[in-house]
Formats: sequence, structure tokens, C-alpha cells
Amino acid sequence: MKNEYKVAIIGGGIVGCSIAYHLAKFGENDVVVFEKDYLSSGSTGRCAGGIRQQWSSPHNVLLAMRSVSLFEKLSQETGVDIEYKQGGYLVLSYDDQEAAQFEKNVQMQRELGLDVEILTPKDVKQRYPYIDVSGVKMATFCQKDGHANPHLANFAYARAAQKLGVHIMTHTKVMAVEVLPNGFELFTNRGKIGAKILINAAGPHSREIGNMVGVDLPTESYRHQIMVTEAVKNFFNPMAISFSGNFYMRQTKHGQFIMGQGDPEEKPGINNNVTYRFEREMAEKMCAIFPFLSKLRIVRHWSGHYNMSPDAQPIIGESTSVPSFYYAIGFSGHGFMLAPAVGEALAQMIIYGRTLHVDITELNLDRFEKGVVREKNVV
Amino acid sequence: MVKTDFLIIGGGPAGLSAAIETSKRGLKTLIVDEGVELGGQLVKQTHKFFGHEGFYASVRGFEIAKRLISQLNENVTIMNQTTVTGIYEDIITAYDRENDLIVEIEPKYILISVGASERFIPFENNHLPGIYGAGAVQTLMNQFKVLPGKRVLMVGSGNIGLIVSYQLLQAGAQVKAIVEITEKVGGYQVHAAKVKRLGVPILLRHTIVKAIGDEKVEGAVIAQVDEKFNVIPGTERELAVDVICIAVGLVPSIELAQMAGVKIEYIPELGGFVPFRDREMRTNIKNIFVAGDLAGIEEATTAMIEGKIVGVAVARDLTGIDLQEDLEKMQKELVEFRSGPFSDKVRKGLERFFPQSAHSYSKDAQQDLGPTGKLRPIIECFENIPCNPCQTSCPSGAITVPGNINSLPLIDYSKCTGCGICAMKCPGLAIFMVQENHQPGRDLIVLPYEFLPLPEKGQKVIALDREGREVGQAEIVKVVKSSNKTHLVHLSVPAGLAQVVRSFRIPQKSDSIVCRCEEITVEEIERAIDEGYTDYEELRRYLRIGMGPCGGRTCRVITLSILARKTKKSIQEIGCGTFRPPSMPVKFDSIVKGEIDNEK
Amino acid sequence: MRRIAFHPILEIEKPKTIKFFFEGRELEAFEGETIAAALVANGIDVFGQTEHSRPRGFYCAIGKCSSCLMIVDGVSNVRSCITLVKDGMQVERQVGRGEITW
Ligand SMILES: Cc1cc2nc3c(=O)[nH]c(=O)nc-3n(C[C@H](O)[C@H](O)[C@H](O)COP(=O)(O)OP(=O)(O)OC[C@H]3O[C@@H](n4cnc5c(N)ncnc54)[C@H](O)[C@@H]3O)c2cc1C
Ligand SMILES: Cc1cc2nc3c(=O)[nH]c(=O)nc-3n(C[C@H](O)[C@H](O)[C@H](O)COP(=O)(O)OP(=O)(O)OC[C@H]3O[C@@H](n4cnc5c(N)ncnc54)[C@H](O)[C@@H]3O)c2cc1C
Ligand code: SF4
Ligand code: SF4
Repeated sequence: MKNEYKVAIIGGGIVGCSIAYHLAKFGENDVVVFEKDYLSSGSTGRCAGGIRQQWSSPHNVLLAMRSVSLFEKLSQETGVDIEYKQGGYLVLSYDDQEAAQFEKNVQMQRELGLDVEILTPKDVKQRYPYIDVSGVKMATFCQKDGHANPHLANFAYARAAQKLGVHIMTHTKVMAVEVLPNGFELFTNRGKIGAKILINAAGPHSREIGNMVGVDLPTESYRHQIMVTEAVKNFFNPMAISFSGNFYMRQTKHGQFIMGQGDPEEKPGINNNVTYRFEREMAEKMCAIFPFLSKLRIVRHWSGHYNMSPDAQPIIGESTSVPSFYYAIGFSGHGFMLAPAVGEALAQMIIYGRTLHVDITELNLDRFEKGVVREKNVV
Repeated sequence: MVKTDFLIIGGGPAGLSAAIETSKRGLKTLIVDEGVELGGQLVKQTHKFFGHEGFYASVRGFEIAKRLISQLNENVTIMNQTTVTGIYEDIITAYDRENDLIVEIEPKYILISVGASERFIPFENNHLPGIYGAGAVQTLMNQFKVLPGKRVLMVGSGNIGLIVSYQLLQAGAQVKAIVEITEKVGGYQVHAAKVKRLGVPILLRHTIVKAIGDEKVEGAVIAQVDEKFNVIPGTERELAVDVICIAVGLVPSIELAQMAGVKIEYIPELGGFVPFRDREMRTNIKNIFVAGDLAGIEEATTAMIEGKIVGVAVARDLTGIDLQEDLEKMQKELVEFRSGPFSDKVRKGLERFFPQSAHSYSKDAQQDLGPTGKLRPIIECFENIPCNPCQTSCPSGAITVPGNINSLPLIDYSKCTGCGICAMKCPGLAIFMVQENHQPGRDLIVLPYEFLPLPEKGQKVIALDREGREVGQAEIVKVVKSSNKTHLVHLSVPAGLAQVVRSFRIPQKSDSIVCRCEEITVEEIERAIDEGYTDYEELRRYLRIGMGPCGGRTCRVITLSILARKTKKSIQEIGCGTFRPPSMPVKFDSIVKGEIDNEK
Repeated sequence: MRRIAFHPILEIEKPKTIKFFFEGRELEAFEGETIAAALVANGIDVFGQTEHSRPRGFYCAIGKCSSCLMIVDGVSNVRSCITLVKDGMQVERQVGRGEITW
């Protein structure tokens, strides 16, 4: 570790590592990443790894589409097999109003160049005879959606960044930040480090970092639980998800089923415990929709956090009150899939002063001054 | 939903002892145990236990279990074949195997006394069928009465390796050798002596290098090692065996404790990662206690005492009655037991939690062998172990274990009547009776014997010495059958062999992967470490070690030691990783069924 | 047979015998014993194969190591070391990961 860097990134999750990698790729490798635990110890290592482009707002669709094109190359580019699979996202709707909205969304998504199908319950049954379609109003499907292994994707960015000269300091916690006229001084458990540019990619702890710098970031972390079964031979290709049905599930390359749901009763705050209620509710709901699960065993159940923003969309950009303080936070449960495009965009902003592939100005912090329009396609 | 005052997870000696204390004081006590029968390790043990009579010394393990169970009263509910699968934020769950459903439990107090699980070691072909943990061999042999093979290689010479070897011999198998990687036998000398005199070689500074066989074990390659435990090339040799039994130690099963939020510390002297506890066995969480092997790998006796301490403390908390005296009495028992040299390690480990004290014990061994020509016991017990049935069983008070229970037994031959009861009772089978010249030119030797078939009077047998070597012919002159199944066989041997013969043989007509779930090898782990995955958590996620159905039970310890070796860090620095519920795979079906049941 | 016929310490009872099938072959078992114990008693040590074609037996006998997974009455991933054998049960070797039926 040196005591002075051009760029310091707080957070060794996929977002922090993607930013670091893209900075180095575009020529800036005087970069350090601070991670208080180990790589992927935050939300990334706890997430489901779903990668979806079917969003309800156009900028999210575009950002996700850019991510997908980067995911498609990631294994080859970094030399780490991230178990990427484009098995499609099957979005099931159990609600008439939602179904009507889906029709509109699909039209918008198609206009942006995304290939999305609309399926009747009968179509679903025909394609996936092992799904019980009772109560399903309609479904949408995009073959180019899919999933990857979050740990491996996180490691892929980290290793590739290191190869380009980035320093990654694990088990190094940033405890305080002093804003200097011309940069920042970071106080870590391994000593003081100076940086010209500071990036907050601290996931569930984004608000704490904001407070250290003196910028109020309106994010709040909510626990989300998730569990996985033992492995069986692969047969289930898509990620099945429902906003009205409140669930998601996919089969990993390894053969395990990974699944979760949201909990409206969850209170904000960091909590890594798990409840049995989650298993009970999931077992009942999932066995009804996916009857083949009933003889399968759950092997592990854990929890992570959604770092929520007021409109359930990420907050990305540079602070107006503290220049050179950047943030990529508040991913609201979909930061894994957006990390490649966000990392690239933020790196471009820093190095070229503007983004080259997708416009992310709508995701800046200022937007909340104008009012809040929530993204609906979230579990 | 089941509500109870006191939930005991694991009905081994620790759990049962706690239940005895709380149930007799009127508390509703629920014991959940995943075994078919209660008793934990005890039900698989056919040998007599050490200790003192207050804690069933000289009683066979499976009988101790019965005696403990008989002391439970109507306040106790037992759920067996039921595994506690998780201690969640909202509830505790248990999987009832017989009814195939999940039960929800809401207790006021909890004791986690789930014992330990077995270590595993990497060697070539260690996946082959025919390789078993010592516990599995005991289950097959002593519970289901099935012998997995005829010729066994035992890996490890701790008490478990020695005892299971002895039990294998009793069940009719041959034990080709016991290999021990260090330079000394790990277990008690008296246990080692029992197998040695039956001709089983204990090969020190030896290890297993590989298992041979395509479909299943057909042999094993063993070899000598140097001071750094590296195999010395050229010393390899092959043994024809069909079973390889691994007895390389136990690790406390901390999964549930950690899930519940109990602080875990790394204390190698206690077996690795163990839960924090205070003098009353209370963890950092007010209503959660631990006891027994989970709290530190030790013995059934200390497990029982710790269990009693928990039972009394919980009863005091819940009833408000002053039970200080009972508590202190048990705490004193623990000190008494742990005063010997075999407990030095345990005491050192426990110092990390609270100060330890110890009593002094005597190292004076019996010097003289008594009056020649008189029928009298010879006590070959030369290690300070916590044991004294020889003293308490002698009807004429001839034997004393002076002061602390870890002292060596001394005998006053003038008081001895030669009844032989001590020889029958001694759990170490370390007492032999001798009489020189009981007939002209012949010495008499009385040996404790626990094998079938029993020899018959007049039968000619081959006399063996302490190492199991043949030293001559002997004739059976008497067989005294004992109800405790340690029979006394009287042999007549040529004069001069009284202090030589310690065993005999009936002449025979003819002598006839590191991570199992994910199949991950040592090389793969080493490669990943070389690639930079030097953090245990990263390594796990990269290779999926410990993510399979076993939850890391077999591979965690090995992985940690490989990591420690390669990164030159201590295991303590690396940490033990995180455990996630459920602690065993749970079917969706069972949850759904349980829900219907729990609503009732 | 590998059943222990006599033992110096333990009583050897003679439990009721039942029939079960291993890979279609009829075998005898004792009521109350596990599938694994019954198979070993019948001289069968190979319970299946791993994904990489390594033969698999059982190891821990307490349902914790995943070595003994078998297909029992059509259901895969059954832990044969803690599952009791039943009259008429169909037991098969499992090769690699289990398969799901619907
Ligand atoms: C159950 C669950 C399922 C999910 N499923 C999906 C999905 O299918 N698809 C999807 O796209 N997203 C999903 N998500 C969301 C996704 O996990 C996150 O949005 C994403 O991982 C965020 O990445 P990150 O790098 O910003 O945060 P993190 O991975 O949390 O990384 C932040 C890192 O910062 C470190 N840190 C914090 N404070 C400090 C400090 N002071 N000093 C040093 N280091 C610090 C933390 O230790 C952490 O490792 C899911 C989330 C959960 C919880
Ligand atoms: C071969 C051998 C020989 C021994 N000889 C002696 C001796 O001579 N003298 C002596 O003093 N000690 C001896 N011991 C040691 C002694 O048996 C142990 O120290 C003692 O049994 C520990 O008691 P425990 O109650 O802590 O655990 P255990 O006896 O291991 O009991 C734990 C119980 O918890 C249950 N359990 C585990 N997980 C769960 C769960 N999740 N849900 C529900 N139930 C669960 C298990 O089924 C088990 O019944 C020997 C041990 C072995 C293996
Ligand atoms: S032989 Fe009998 S009298 Fe003599 S020491 Fe032993 S028990 Fe006591
Ligand atoms: S001689 Fe006494 S102390 Fe020694 S093992 Fe026998 S009974 Fe125990």
C-alpha cells in the first residue's frame, strides 16, 4: 500500500471492482480499493446473480442492455469463468393491472431494441410443463436475460483490475474521511491514505460513507433473505420472477435452485440474521408454483441487504457540494446486473468527463429535488 | 409450535445430565436428539468407562446411557430422530425424520450439547468405499451389528483409535496395524496395552499415503514420516486391508451455536473453534448454554458434570431458588477431574475463559510386586488418569488412589485377599492376578478377558506377552464368568512367566477428496491459493468448498489447515467461516407439512 | 454375510427380516436398520458414483457427509445412512447429481 493514490474506492463488491477495472482499462491505474472484509462479502456475495433487461423505465433498460453486452464478454476478457448463462427471464404476472402495464413496458422495451415475448399462461405451460400456472395472467420473456455467479463475477473484475495495477486492500476498513481543499485523507485500520478522487461503492454502508464526507445520501438498507437447495441435474433454464407474486428463482450452473422474496415488514438497518418465517412462506408458495421442489432439500439460507434509494433506482454521479466525491450506490436490489455498465460509465465520467455508451445523468442525486417516480419492476 | 422451559439440543451425556437436574426441579424439559436412541456417543461404546463411581466408572458406555435415561421423570419430553436445523431470529426449528416434518420450538432456555464431529484427512484415493470414520464403524458394528470388513487399518492412536480397534477385534475383525503420525501414542497407555497384547502393532511416526483399489478398498500404502511429518521416500509399504478407519480426532460442532450468535473462539487445546462460556457454562447470550464435547473435546465424565452445572444454573434462573451449593459442588468435581496431566491442555485452553485451578496428584507408582507365591493383583497402570474404580471396588480396602483421582493406584498386599474383583472392574483391563508356582514348575496368571469364544478348562492356548508375541504354551485352568462381561481366565504357564504373559490366543485351525460433496482435491485448493484466493471466505466461494449438503463438516478443517500451511498464517487468524442454517438439508415438503402441524 | 453372529459384550437379537431391492436384485434386511447397514451387510460397498465417475461408499453414518446419496423409490439424494430400510423398497445407485421428476 502506498500512502497516496489518485483514486480511492470504498467497497470491494462488484460495483467497486468494476469501477476499478474500468478506470484501469481506460488508463488510470493509480487506484486503490478498500474492502473492510473479503471480496464479495457484501451484498454481491449474497445476491441471486440475476441479469435482466426488462425494466419499466427506459434508462434502466438501456443501462441493463449495456451491462449484458459487457457480461457477454466478461469471462473472455478477464479469464475467469463467471458461469454466465442467457437462459432468459420469465416474468410472471398474477395481477390484471400489472399485466396491462407489462404490455406497455414490452412495447417500450421493443422500441429500445430488446427482443421480448409476451406469453399466455398456456404458452408458459407448454414451454415449462413443470410450472403450475394457476393464477398466472400473463408472462413476458426475454431470452437474452440470464444470470451469472456473483462471487466469480466479483473476483473476475478484481483479478483483472489487479493485473492492470490496481491495489486491492481487503480487511481494510475506512473509518473516517477528511475532506481537503484538493482531495481526501482516509483513515483506515491500516493507516492514513491520501487520494485526489474518492468513490463511494460501499453498498449497504453507502450512507455512512456519505456522512464521513458530509454529504447526505438518501439511502437505506433493508435485509433480504435468500436460500439455496442441494444440486440436481440441470433442466431449469430461465430465471423465473414475479413482482406481483413476490418471488424469484433460478437454477445455478451447479444445479442448485436459488430463490428469494421481498418482505414488506422488514425494517431498515443492517441485520445478517435469518428467520424461519421466510423458509416457511417460501416453501409454501414455491411448492405450489414449482411442485417439483417439494422433494428437494434446502441446504443454506442467508441474508444480505438491498441498499434502497427513494425511487428504487441507483444513485450515480459526482457530488455537487464536495467535488471529486463520486458515488455508485442505492442499487435497490439490482446492482449486480448493472455493475458492468455503471463501472464503465463512472470510469468514463472520471477520465473523459462524460459517458460514452449510456447516459446516466438521470441517476444523479439532484433528481430527488424534482420528486420521486418509483421503478416498479422490483421484488 | 412447541413451548418449553428448557430445550436441550443433543441427548448425549451432557444433555441427559442437564435434563436430570431440571426435570427433578419441576421444569418442563424438551430433549431433541437426532439419533435413534438417546445417549450420544455412549450408545456406541461397549467398553467400561473411566472415572469414579459417582459418574458411572467401570460401567459400559451403552449401559451408562440407560442409567441416565432412567433418571428422567415425567417433566421430560423426548424427541428422537429429530435434528435441530436452525436457530433463527424468530424461532428454533427441528426436522422430525420419522414424520418427515419441521417442528417449531419456543424455549425459555437452551442448552446446546451436540457434541463433536470427526476430522477427515486427505490422502490419495480417500474417496473409495471402505474408508470410514471411526464413528461410522462403531455405528455399523455396535448398533447394527454389521462388520464392514475383515482386515482393518486404523489411522490414529488416540483413545478413539485404540478403543475402536479393540472393539473391532471383539467383533471378529483383524486390525492389521494402527498408524500414528507423531512419536507417541495419543491415547491412554492402558488402552494401548489392551490392543498391543493382542498382537496389533502400533506404528509410530507412520501415516497412510494412499488407499488401493478401483471400486473399493483392497489395500493401503503406509509409510514412515520425518519430524516434519513428511513421508520418507522408500519406507512405503502395502497392507492388504478391506477397511480403512479414520480416527484422527474430533472437532466441536459449533454450527448451531454460531448461528445463534454465540461468540466463537479459536482454542486448539479444546479442539479448535469453541463457544465462549463462563463458569456456569453460559455463553455470551443469557439464555443459551453449552456443555460437553461442543464446549471442548474431553470426556463423558466432564460432559456429565458440565451438563449438571447447566441444569442447576437453569433451574436457579427459572425457579429463583438458591442452588449455589449444588453448583459449587459440581464446579469442584470438575476441578478434581481436570487436575491430571491429560487435562493440562484442557485447563490451559479454559484459562482463556476464566482462571483454572488444579489439585496436586501423586506420581508415586507401586514399587514392589508383592509377596511371591501369593495369589495377588499386579496393577499395570502407570499414567496419571482420572480413574479410581480399583480403589472403590476392593472389598478389603487394599487399593488406594491417594488424594486426587489422578494419582496412581497403590496396593497394600497385606490387606489383599486375592478375590480378583479389582481385575474384573478395572476399565483399563490393567490389573492381572499372578501366583508363582501354584503348581510345581507352573505359574498361575489370571487375565481379564472380553472375547468370544471363551476358552474351556483344560484347553491349550498360546501365551502372549505385553506386545502380543508368543512366549509359550499355556493351559486354561479355570474361567470365572462375570456379569459385567469382563471374565477372568486362569492360565497355567511355565514357571518364570508370571510377569511376562499378559494375553493369550486360541490356536486357530486355519488363519483364514478434501470435500466429499463437491469432489474438490487438495491440488485444486492449493492451485486456487496460488491464484490469490488466500482468504478462507473467498476460497470457499471460488471453489464452492463447504457449500454442499454437508455444510463443510468434512472439509472445513482440512481446508483451513492447507490455507494455514500455504499462507503461513495461523488458523486463528484465518477464522472459522460462517455457518448458515439449516444445519442439515431440509425438504420443502417437510416445512409445508410442519406448518400444517404447527398450526394445530 | 457380514453380520456379527456373536459378540462378547452385546446381545445379538434376531430382528424380523424384510425384503428390499438393490438395482432390481432382491436382498434381505433387518427391520429397523438403515439402508446403508443393510447394503453393507449384504456385501455391497459401492453406493453410487460421483459426477467424475469416482465410486462412492458411505463415510460418516450420521447423515452429514453426502457420500451415501442414493435413489430410493425413485427419489434421488436420499441419505441411505440415516434412512431406515422398508419392506419392498427399491434402492438404486445414484450417478452424479440427483435428477428431479415432475
Ligand atoms: C438477497 C439478494 C438478492 C439479490 N439479487 C440480485 C439479482 O438477482 N440481481 C442483481 O442485479 N442484484 C441483486 N441483488 C442486489 C445486489 O446484490 C447489489 O445491488 C449489488 O451486489 C451491489 O454491489 P455493491 O458492490 O454496490 O455492494 P456490495 O457488494 O455490498 O459491496 C460493498 C462493499 O463495501 C464494503 N464496505 C462498506 N463500508 C466500508 C468501509 N467503511 N470500508 C471498507 N469497505 C467498506 C463492504 O464490506 C462491501 O463488501 C440482490 C441482493 C440481495 C441481498
Ligand atoms: C470411541 C470413543 C470412546 C470414548 N471413550 C470414553 C471413555 O472411556 N470415557 C469417557 O469419559 N469418555 C469417552 N469418550 C468420550 C465421550 O463419549 C464424549 O466426550 C461424550 O460423549 C461427550 O458428550 P456430549 O453429550 O457432549 O456429546 P455426544 O455424546 O456426542 O452427544 C451429542 C448428541 O447430540 C445429538 N445431536 C447432534 N447434532 C444435533 C442436532 N442438530 N439436533 C439434535 N441432536 C443433535 C447427537 O445425535 C448426539 O446424541 C469416548 C468417545 C469415543 C468416540
Ligand atoms: S484382589 Fe480383591 S482384595 Fe485384593 S486388591 Fe483386588 S479387589 Fe482388593
Ligand atoms: S488400575 Fe485403577 S486407576 Fe488404573 S485403570 Fe484400573 S481402575 Fe483405573
